[in-house]
Amino acid sequence: MSARARVPWGLLGVLAALSVPFLGSRYYTFVATDVAILALFAVSLNLLLGYTGLVSFGHAAYFGVGAYTTGLLMKKAGVPFVLAFPAAGVLAGLLALVFGFFCVRLTKIYFAMLTLAFAQIVWAICFKWNDLTGGEQGMPEIPYPDLAWLERLPLVGELRTSDHFYLLTVVLVALCFWLLRRVVGSPFGRILTTIRENPERAEFIGVHVRRWELLAFVLAGAFAGLAGGLFGIFNRGVFPDFIYWTKSSEVLIMAILGGMGYFYGPAVGALVLLVLNQQITSYTEYWPFVLGSILIVLLFAFPGGLVGALDAGRRRLLRLGRA
Amino acid sequence: MQRRMFLILLPLLALALAGPPAALAQKPIRVGFPMPLSGPAALYGDPALKGAQLFVEELNAKGGVLGRKLELLPRDSKANPDEAVRVSRELILKENVDFLVGTLTSAEGPAVSVVAKENKVVFIAPIPKTDQLTAKDKLHPYVFRVAATTTMEGRSIAEIVAKWGVKRIATISFDYAYGQDVTRAFVEHIKKIKPGVEIVDQQWPKLGEADYRPFINAQMAKKPDAVFSSIWGGHFVTFAKQAKPLGYFDAIKYNFIGAGEIAAPETTKAMGAEYPVGIWGNTYDAFYWDAAPAAHHDYTARLARFLKDDAPSSWSIQTYIAMQFLTAAITKAGGTDGDKVAKALLGLSIDTPHGKMTIRAKDHQADRGQLYGKTVKDPKYPFAIMKPLTYVDPAKFMD
Repeated sequence: MSARARVPWGLLGVLAALSVPFLGSRYYTFVATDVAILALFAVSLNLLLGYTGLVSFGHAAYFGVGAYTTGLLMKKAGVPFVLAFPAAGVLAGLLALVFGFFCVRLTKIYFAMLTLAFAQIVWAICFKWNDLTGGEQGMPEIPYPDLAWLERLPLVGELRTSDHFYLLTVVLVALCFWLLRRVVGSPFGRILTTIRENPERAEFIGVHVRRWELLAFVLAGAFAGLAGGLFGIFNRGVFPDFIYWTKSSEVLIMAILGGMGYFYGPAVGALVLLVLNQQITSYTEYWPFVLGSILIVLLFAFPGGLVGALDAGRRRLLRLGRA
Repeated sequence: MQRRMFLILLPLLALALAGPPAALAQKPIRVGFPMPLSGPAALYGDPALKGAQLFVEELNAKGGVLGRKLELLPRDSKANPDEAVRVSRELILKENVDFLVGTLTSAEGPAVSVVAKENKVVFIAPIPKTDQLTAKDKLHPYVFRVAATTTMEGRSIAEIVAKWGVKRIATISFDYAYGQDVTRAFVEHIKKIKPGVEIVDQQWPKLGEADYRPFINAQMAKKPDAVFSSIWGGHFVTFAKQAKPLGYFDAIKYNFIGAGEIAAPETTKAMGAEYPVGIWGNTYDAFYWDAAPAAHHDYTARLARFLKDDAPSSWSIQTYIAMQFLTAAITKAGGTDGDKVAKALLGLSIDTPHGKMTIRAKDHQADRGQLYGKTVKDPKYPFAIMKPLTYVDPAKFMD
């Protein structure tokens, strides 16, 4: 192992993220919170997309259910965040278990269509169920978690509520990333990769493909639910559009843009997509046109996504240095 | 090959990293304007934006307010609350807007209201009607509305229907917040002011229903004398096209009255000969309003010039009035401090193109009426107009 591998990049990344509120701009904190949460959402999808080779077109369903779970528990039932947040993961995971049971029975495009169909059902329920979800008007005013104890600490005590929530988000997202990294690095993660590469062969050597796929589906759903739980609070409201198919395609774009062959690829995709979106919509209303152009260039020139491109560049530099 | 791709990507990244455009030397007052500017709702969002732009252009030509120019920052809210919240927060946090004016649907309004409350930014809603926006438990110092509420709209229509001398009344509305609220307001009010009436049927198609025929047939079977509807805007076009061949309007002798601006000049123009002429409807504004206050004629002429349209939109008036209120409040407060402007808006009266209007202190709601009337054919226009046109003043039944 070279010295490079021993640099604790993850820890440095977390520290850099934690320093954002001290720049003093409410806007930077706003964008950073958005990026952190959606990065988790995108990485959770990649457990299916990049590692297991399953294209889910309905990942937003679990994100949205997580958002509604945390939102409902905190707003209507007054449940504290420490319980409402994990509940989002549990409920989204359970839902993924039910839907996944049917979805993994299909392959390729049929799998994708079924995930989409289930997500649209969830959307329709949230859109219609006025009494529980607020219907199309959604559920505004989700309270912030009680972080008053942070105010007593030096340094962070001066910050605003939204900054405190951001710090909490960074810690939780980092924790989720650590867990997900453990998952994909474990023998289970290897099995998923085997399934992606050749499901028939995996079946031949005794891997119960459907069961492992279902487990991956549940895990991805649960982490998407956790991201949703955070997002509802950050967004100051939960709306049925969280579940609409456009949200599912947005997170797919993030994963592909960043590079689904890399663990942090989708996170980079989330960062780039959100920052570009924020910047470009200030200049032109034709943001979809710009996004489409970027994707076309990327898909043809760098099928490995942005991280893939960076990786290729780094390798070329190393080769040049050696030559 | 790859290097060339980098050259393409580089300017894009540079654009992403570049900060917002440099601030101008003489700081204008910035007004964030979230509004649906794409998709089907842009049909109303675009003219709404034009109304505010007309006001800002005229004000700035006269030197602005308190010596400062107004700057409008429109953002596409895509007619969905999630996006409306996102762009509103971006407008506040990144563009540092002083005020928010905008939103169209009853979902967007309350969602943006929460953002306004948390950031202590004055927000004037020009179009959303839902009662919930200014309901007691949702009201906060920074939210105001210059549109009619669902209560005001439903009750105005009940006042009109009460004069028809009909007994058996049916309703047809979308099964969601606006449809339910406005229908409830209508039913409660008509039962109160006309105790003899009977609600014989209530149909609740889902929002955006494509096939209304089962609902129409079920309703006709109950043989109502009159129908109240809140199927609004473009949805009404679909509804009417299916109802007409079934003899629906004939069966109720055109005793049909619709909330949701179905008699707006835009709608009758869009439907042309297919419009069920003879039904009743409402609109925010009508360029052909002869009995209007003098200021209205002048406003219509200026709007027609601005839009380059002899039959200018009826939606522009709402944002025009909202901007009028905002400017008057800034003048009264002597600055752009959010708390002072919010206070100045309470009980503020101004002269609008539709006459004097007041934002009530107790619920931050303007006494905004709407224009109602029976649609007729007029040889002067190739589309149906309302005649006579009545401005229903809601002051008596706002509570």
